[in-house]
Amino acid sequence: MNYDFLRLTVGVLATVGLYSVLYRENKFYRFFEHIFLGLASGWTLVALWTESLKSNWWDKMVGTAAEGTNAAANGNWAYILLLPIGLMGYFVFSKKHNWMSRIPIGIILGLWSGQQIQVWWNTYGPQINASMKPIFPTTFSSFTVPATPEAGAVYPSQAITNFLFVLTVLSVLSYFLFSFDVKNRAIRNTSILGRYLLMIGFGAIFGSTVMMRFTLLIDRMYFIWIEWFQTWILRR
Amino acid sequence: MSVAQPAKRPLGERLQSLPKFWIYSILLVLTTIPLFVTVSVPNEPQEPAIDLYASLMQLPEGGRVLIASDWTGSTRGESGGEFDAIIRILMRKKIKFAIYSTADPQAPLVARDSIARLNDERRKAGLAPYERFTDWVSVGYFPNSEGATNGIANDIRSVFGGRKDFPPGRPPTDIFQSPVLQGVRSVSDFPMLIVITASKTSNFTVERVYGKTPLAFAVTGVMGPETQVFYQSKQIVGFAGGLKGVYDLETMMEHGINNPGPDGKIVVPSSKYGQIPGFPGMPNKGKGTLYYPTLHVALALLILTVIIGNVGMFLSKRANQR
Repeated sequence: MNYDFLRLTVGVLATVGLYSVLYRENKFYRFFEHIFLGLASGWTLVALWTESLKSNWWDKMVGTAAEGTNAAANGNWAYILLLPIGLMGYFVFSKKHNWMSRIPIGIILGLWSGQQIQVWWNTYGPQINASMKPIFPTTFSSFTVPATPEAGAVYPSQAITNFLFVLTVLSVLSYFLFSFDVKNRAIRNTSILGRYLLMIGFGAIFGSTVMMRFTLLIDRMYFIWIEWFQTWILRR
Repeated sequence: MSVAQPAKRPLGERLQSLPKFWIYSILLVLTTIPLFVTVSVPNEPQEPAIDLYASLMQLPEGGRVLIASDWTGSTRGESGGEFDAIIRILMRKKIKFAIYSTADPQAPLVARDSIARLNDERRKAGLAPYERFTDWVSVGYFPNSEGATNGIANDIRSVFGGRKDFPPGRPPTDIFQSPVLQGVRSVSDFPMLIVITASKTSNFTVERVYGKTPLAFAVTGVMGPETQVFYQSKQIVGFAGGLKGVYDLETMMEHGINNPGPDGKIVVPSSKYGQIPGFPGMPNKGKGTLYYPTLHVALALLILTVIIGNVGMFLSKRANQR
């Protein structure tokens, strides 16, 4: 039997099995769910060694012999020190010695925390900067941006877009900042506006999510009907 | 003796509880039939996708890029289409690329399989295949996406050091012997880092690599809104989001930007760019062109069921008020 046909047929059975849960919970679904989990776990375990630990740790520790165009590399036994630090993490399962697991966790947390200032600025600095937008037009030569715009000019359509952007930012911020009972009517109304704008945002995210899920279903249908049925069954 | 018939449920209630089995069955049929017919849906590419295409086309021919391929079979419908479109563009511009993954151990294999399929496509078109190790190199998988991305941003030689790839007919060889990575000292030696992802790795990339080299993303539909923020603040040069992003890329690969067709009509106009060519006559149509009409049919069913449910709710409320 052709290997490709067999491979695709198993894929089709797995797809149908996993989708069968939409109708109701059943053994066919459970079977393929467990196969999937087992495969993923096994794959991850092997990949962790072959794609990570071997090249990043083992080969650097024991060195490598010359092969083909690869030069020989000396080992560095200092890498062995990483092993006990890593193994300490497993003491989290011991009631008596679980304090040892805090050492690697502490090292990781310390390294991570130290990087957060740069991380925060890289993420939000440009976003804060980009939120400062001009909301007044500087030219009325054209309402919308022409094909060859004047350098540095703000056209009325851009000003309206920028105003909506700034309004959204401020009202959403006020929603989170003034979540307690506020007496000032202007701030309260701005917070309410922020809540509605957030709802619109969530709606857009929900719409994108629905489209994504549909696309994944369409791809599975393509796999079953075109890649398997049309290519292998109809042409046989 | 007569048996009492169960009371018929009111219409409003019935409309709100359509049988799940039939809804799913109709959905499966509706998402299958359009796959067998060729329907062309009009398209106006969005600005982030135009910027992504323009950035890719402005890369120097024969140069190199770094690609983070963080998707697997679970998002093949979207990420697979994005990957195919981007790799086709790079191959046609003879741009070398190094691929690494930090999200899923299966991702490198999925990427390698896709490249093999695209190479088959090139062979059929009479073009030379993209040779592994010479034209592209697989760096492999790195666990701990955040840590690995940080390492790549700060000391790429140390993170990629010791990794081997498989040149045809030769034993596994150090990836830094590959022409793709010749002279690479830091991530800045790549004129662009392209992240094709279905997970949070795009956030890690902005956090760690922003400012060191231009970033371009291809993300799933659900990630589109959050990625728009990075685009708005110019942290990334452009992005393709979901199936619409794939269709946008495929449209531009066929028609270019500001590029008049045989009838003199410009299909993708843009005030930001001059004339950027496409690749007419080459296999540009992929998952975007194939799936986009089907998505419309599925969404029409969704809208219809939402309307039916709301009408049912309205009828029930009115009946209760009487």
